[in-house]
Amino acid sequence: MKSNWWKILGILILIYTVIVGMSVPLKPGIERADSISMGSNGNNASSISSGENHVIKVIGYNTNYKDNTNKAWLRLDTIGAVAATKFETISETEANVHFTIPTIFPARDTFQLLSMVIYNKEDGPSILPDAFSIRTNQRSNSNLTEWTVDPITNITDKPGMQFPYRSVLNETIRNTFFHIPLWFSMFILLLISIIYSGKYLKNNNIKDDIIASSLVNVAVLFGILGIITGSIWARFTWGTFWTTDVKLNMSTVAMLIYVASLILRSSINDVDRRAKLSASYNIFAFAALIPLVFVIPRLTDSLHPGNGGNPALGGEDMENTLRMVFYPAIIGFTLLGLWMTSILIRYESLKDRWLSRK
Amino acid sequence: MNISHIVAIIKKDFDIEVRQRYAIAGIFLFAVTTAYFIYKAFNNLSGLEWNILVWIIVLFAGLNAIVKSFVQERKETYLYYYSLFGPLEVIVAKLIYNYLFTIFLTFVVIFVFTILFGNPVKDYTLFLKGLFLGTLGISSVFTFVSSVSGAGSSSGTMMSILSLPLVLPSVLLMERITAVAMRLITDTAIAKDLYILASIDLLIIGMVIFIFPSLWKA
Repeated sequence: MKSNWWKILGILILIYTVIVGMSVPLKPGIERADSISMGSNGNNASSISSGENHVIKVIGYNTNYKDNTNKAWLRLDTIGAVAATKFETISETEANVHFTIPTIFPARDTFQLLSMVIYNKEDGPSILPDAFSIRTNQRSNSNLTEWTVDPITNITDKPGMQFPYRSVLNETIRNTFFHIPLWFSMFILLLISIIYSGKYLKNNNIKDDIIASSLVNVAVLFGILGIITGSIWARFTWGTFWTTDVKLNMSTVAMLIYVASLILRSSINDVDRRAKLSASYNIFAFAALIPLVFVIPRLTDSLHPGNGGNPALGGEDMENTLRMVFYPAIIGFTLLGLWMTSILIRYESLKDRWLSRK
Repeated sequence: MNISHIVAIIKKDFDIEVRQRYAIAGIFLFAVTTAYFIYKAFNNLSGLEWNILVWIIVLFAGLNAIVKSFVQERKETYLYYYSLFGPLEVIVAKLIYNYLFTIFLTFVVIFVFTILFGNPVKDYTLFLKGLFLGTLGISSVFTFVSSVSGAGSSSGTMMSILSLPLVLPSVLLMERITAVAMRLITDTAIAKDLYILASIDLLIIGMVIFIFPSLWKA
């Protein structure tokens, strides 16, 4: 029991990951906002000009618009915001918001982006970034008073723990706790396995070979699970199960390399020779994995965060509430992988002993 | 490590190649036949197809050629080499020989393609840079995998499933560089691509030289 504490720890962490990761609600957010009115010069929803009155239909997510006094703003970054003239609640998640777009915009491009902010006491603030692109008629850096009449103040966050709301990700943001930790723990397992492969080449102890190959087996399983979870995630965010995204295809090639190493193992009958060849190939494969997964995806455009100019885990894609589950999940999956490996090692050593006795 | 030993091994490999003429002739006939097959099937190739097909033919012809580099002689002969040369000399000689062979093969394929389809290359310096760096990566991976799979029984299949995923990064980068040399795509960071290809080559060669001594004993 004493030596098994890490197995229990791993399972507890994974239970925590599943329960917290699945049950914590998302922050209230704005799913979409569309203008449903004609502007003064007959402009429809797709092109709003400065100085017009517009009614914007808002569809919220997890929001409670009824029984609350809601406030809405259109925010132009760093300059200020204009408050809504009227907030008509239709249901908990639907509302029509009336705005008067200011006549004077700061001196910048002809088209300027406004973000939408809605606030009530129960939900806290919810933001739709770059909700509208406004065609501006008058641009100057003075007379911007319209923007500062009713600033966004007195805002308090909703109490309790919530995961951030992102418009495309929606509830699939919870896959962060499964898809990414599976890849992380795959890498940790492969790293340990090349250490044992190196040890085998140095000492020729067959035990090291069994450990290394069991680790590769479990790592391949984790990699395949990583591809499957990623594929399901892609279906709900990018629209298809499989895309031409580099990172997807490079990680598939990486999996092919490791599946080939397992086939290589099974093709050789002599135990020492098999151990030697698969240990050499394992070290070589890990070296080949580095350009595949870390170099090539950074060269071309990718839909993944951290590639092709997208922010990585350190950027605004990761919030502290997500980190509270994400980092434990990495440890949990790694411990689970090590437990699976230890079972495989026991099985392989028993087989080895049994075969040698025969 | 002794330079004269390396030269001796390369010369020995070359002599074997010349004496067993059917093997080398078979490889080149493979390349020419495939090129001719493509010529009859496509009639006309765009620059993009030219680029991809040249490298695919080089890849598979090279695979067939290098697979035998550790199994073409008898076991006893290898024992004899083992007593004569260090593992480092053997692997460096094999790497150099296979590299030269792959470059020669590439020029033959490009020559045949030029006759049949014309030559879309615009920037020859860049094309040659990409060619030399890319074939270095391909031939080093093939050399390593043939030293691993040559030991196994069904070396042909084993060789392709082990080495094709491993050469993918070098081949992709090389295709990108040669496509830039044909003005098919534009890339302002082409110097960076060349450096990355060179560093992948160095990584591969370093790993081969690092691992081979423990394989050679077997």
